[in-house]
Amino acid sequence: MTQKNLPSLIKILLARLGTMPLAILLLIVLALASSIGTVLLQNQGQTDYLQQFGPLWYWVLRALGMFDMYHSWWFIALLGFLMASVGACLWRNVPRMLGEMRARKITLPDRIWKRMENQQQWEVKGTSVDQVVAQVRTLLPGWDWLQDERDGATWLRGDRGRYHKWGYILVHSAILVILIGGWLSVHYGFRGNMSVPEKGQEKEISFVQGSGVGHLTMPFSVRCNKFHIEFFPNGMPKEFRSNLTIIDHGKEVMTKDIIVNGPLYYKGVRIFQASFGDGGSDINLKLYHLDGSGTTSMAHTAVYDTWKDPTTGVSLEITDFKPYNVENMGDPGKAKKFQDLGPAVEFVLRGKGLKSVKIKSFMNPFVLGDDDRGSFMMVSLTGDAKDYQAVPLGLDFSNPKEWKLFNAFVGRLAQRTSKKSGESGREANINAFKQAVVDVFGDKRPANLPQMGTRVVQSVKTLMQMPWPFLPVLENYDQVYYTGLQLTQDPGINVVWVGSGLLVFGLCIMFYMSHRKIWLRVIKTGETGVNLHLAGRSNRNPLAFTEEFHQLFNKLQQGCGIDTKSTKESL
Amino acid sequence: MTSITMDQPQQSRLFAAIHQGKIAVLRCWAYLGFIGGASALAMFGSNYSESGYIFQLLSMSGVVWGGAGMLVGIGVGAVLTRSDDTDSPNWQSKLVPWLDGVVVLLLLMGLWTLFEPAASQISYTDQSNLVSVRTIMAMKVLFLFSAACYIAQLFAPESFIGKVASWCAWGGVYAGGSSLLLRWYESYQFLGGEIGHAPVSNLYEVFILLCCVISIIYLSFERRYRTTGLGAFVMFLVAAAVLFIIWLGSYGEADIKPLVPALQSYWMKIHVPMNFVGYGSFAVACAAGMAWLVRARLERSGKNAKLLAIFPSLDQLDQLSYRAVSIGFPAFTLATILGAVWASQAWGGYWSWDPKETWALIVLLVYGAWLHVRVSHGWSGRVLAWWSVTAFVVTLFCFVGVNMYLSGLHSYGHLG
Ligand code: HEM
Repeated sequence: MTQKNLPSLIKILLARLGTMPLAILLLIVLALASSIGTVLLQNQGQTDYLQQFGPLWYWVLRALGMFDMYHSWWFIALLGFLMASVGACLWRNVPRMLGEMRARKITLPDRIWKRMENQQQWEVKGTSVDQVVAQVRTLLPGWDWLQDERDGATWLRGDRGRYHKWGYILVHSAILVILIGGWLSVHYGFRGNMSVPEKGQEKEISFVQGSGVGHLTMPFSVRCNKFHIEFFPNGMPKEFRSNLTIIDHGKEVMTKDIIVNGPLYYKGVRIFQASFGDGGSDINLKLYHLDGSGTTSMAHTAVYDTWKDPTTGVSLEITDFKPYNVENMGDPGKAKKFQDLGPAVEFVLRGKGLKSVKIKSFMNPFVLGDDDRGSFMMVSLTGDAKDYQAVPLGLDFSNPKEWKLFNAFVGRLAQRTSKKSGESGREANINAFKQAVVDVFGDKRPANLPQMGTRVVQSVKTLMQMPWPFLPVLENYDQVYYTGLQLTQDPGINVVWVGSGLLVFGLCIMFYMSHRKIWLRVIKTGETGVNLHLAGRSNRNPLAFTEEFHQLFNKLQQGCGIDTKSTKESL
Repeated sequence: MTSITMDQPQQSRLFAAIHQGKIAVLRCWAYLGFIGGASALAMFGSNYSESGYIFQLLSMSGVVWGGAGMLVGIGVGAVLTRSDDTDSPNWQSKLVPWLDGVVVLLLLMGLWTLFEPAASQISYTDQSNLVSVRTIMAMKVLFLFSAACYIAQLFAPESFIGKVASWCAWGGVYAGGSSLLLRWYESYQFLGGEIGHAPVSNLYEVFILLCCVISIIYLSFERRYRTTGLGAFVMFLVAAAVLFIIWLGSYGEADIKPLVPALQSYWMKIHVPMNFVGYGSFAVACAAGMAWLVRARLERSGKNAKLLAIFPSLDQLDQLSYRAVSIGFPAFTLATILGAVWASQAWGGYWSWDPKETWALIVLLVYGAWLHVRVSHGWSGRVLAWWSVTAFVVTLFCFVGVNMYLSGLHSYGHLG
């Protein structure tokens, strides 16, 4: 493009700004542009994008602002363009429309009479022009009448919905108002998140800003006293509730519960319940050493901490804790059976020579009906929660005797096989188990020994194959939540609501009110007769107007004068 | 735009007698008065609670508040209509059939509850013995049969099949509407009434609503303008929706489930149905566009005069799709705004460029462009017809596709 072309291009643009084809084009372009951001996920981590697109496309897309496209310069420019176009179009049309609303021609030239789709002509005897005119005015009370005498005839013009064009003005101005409101919200408002652990206090919010994270300090702090979840009987969450205290300049000024759909309002800032998570619960893991010693030890740690075993170098990074884990235990396709599997902790286990894995360890054994199937954990070899696989451990670790029995059994079994007593494998097993039972319980055998025995024998295989030096099982916990809050301030919101109201109101006028015009020419014929000629049109919804016109005609025909001789014009 | 006289439909004399005249006007005012009284009870009567309100309304205080409102309404109506002649159509006579319809729906729903199994036999985990399962089945059959009749009528344009078709469609509307109300009631029967909610919370429920809304809009057109040929196209879309409902049901989506916290808001009851008025009328506009294209093709081929006779003319079809959009566009705009109001309460911002929101905006832009194409000259009916069909595809994506393919804040209606 050369320098010379540029000004004329701008001139053309300005001239075209308020025209219909451009409006249509703009609306379509805006629709297409908006759809991009719904397909390309917005505001994700930059590394995710880099991975997804490769370096070249990543830089191209990033330069175009595609990762936050609704705030990119070109999208804002498109919206600006729309505002300019709507503005230009109002500028061009409003004066004309106001003029049209005021100027109402009382007479109709012949040329237009001919073109009118809705018209009727008839005669009334035994009355006068003035009488008929007065009758018409009382018969059709809702109409806005003008009257004049021209060319030997009396003319009546009636209007209904004369202010229909205000619909257009309201709708298009409302677009401007809404966009201005949106601009105010973006420039003078904020919207960010904070996480507050129970009993903790926070003052700063963070939010996505371009490809980074922005921070803002609030003029007050928020303390979370308690976070509470309520569940439906099928395990779906029913309510998230935070009890918050606002602390302004060291003073507790307000304490209130908030729930989803029920925010708190303080000093122009709204505080919403947005999310929740673990706020660093205390976790005690019991480590069952698998070296045959039968010993256990405790690991005391907390969520988001990493605990390291000084002797083996194995580390446990605690990632999450949940007190309830409701799962559907019904067979697929059958009726659902919801069961709470109890508290579970998630951690990543790492160590020299070990493949690092993600483990979800449950505190309680898995009990189906009356059947205790022993403790279990979920293990993901990839570290992704999608790949969790249930690993039954055999033993019920919530019963310390069972762990003792297991170790006694393994010990006795080792003795027997090393002695080479000539027993068959089965016999050796049975004898070893009998000895182990005596070792642990003496002669006071517990009632559930048979089930315990099955679990112990089963777990020999699974436990001996574990690659880890110990088995971490959740022993107890002290739970703390954090509540995820969203804090917003929005000075444009009321402008947007006003614009929205105008928009809907304007649309109703535009679509449901039509400007209907009727003309009536009354001419005296003979001594006592008058000839009436009625025509009408509407600027929209001709289907309904034709119906209305017929009703008007019928009303006038029946109501004007007494002696009527109709000369209906065939249309 | 040229004006067209459509033949006045042959409304039955009974219908005219019920919906015109002084009685109809006063009845209309009585309904309005009752609605006013019931709202006053909710606002000023003591201790309003969402789940208890209906029982309050059915008790003595409901009789007092609703009855008082009704009397006031009748009084106002009597005064206002004293001088006017009430025989010619007016807004009351247009409104009253709708309110009558609602009353019939409520009565039907009450009737169905009589057949509900005993409380001990209702279980959350197996909902197959609820009565609504059967009434929804009736709706599906009626709609499918109606679609078949409308399509058969194209080839055998005797008025009898057409009558059967519309009666079945009406039957489907009443079956579907009353089953939704019944489902609302049933949702309070489980788990101690904890999970009760309006039946607009998942795809299964809103599709039933959609079928009913499309049919109501079409049937009201059919009653006002004789549009019989269009029925085949509209009910074809409804039939497709019914098949989708059956498919959803086979995935266990038909169960009544609790609401996640974000949906526990009275805004849901307003926002979602309003959206479906929009979706429904856009579907009718699309059907009119399809009919336009088919008719244009038949005209060009010069054959099938018999088939053509039952189609509305091209101009009529064009205007019908405009009528439909002029219901849908304001409704959908309002629904989007209501959604923004709700979002500002639940998520802390009225607009988050969440996929569902964005697609709602796209739908509005597409129909907005369509409206501007109509007012600007030099575009033919063919472009408009194609546009209304394509715009409906966009609409469909907004309301099913977004839930299936895109992720976002609208947890509502996820599949699988
Ligand atoms: C988001 C933006 C817009 C919306 C939502 C909108 C909405 C509407 C609606 C609903 C109608 C009524 C159509 C009908 O009567 O059938 C209309 C008419 C019209 N619009 Fe827009 N419009 C927008 C932008 C524009 C722009 C940018 C222009 C500028 C060229 C424009 C010019 C017009 C004109 C001239 C009419 C016809 C008015 C009449 O004679 O009744 N609109 N618009």
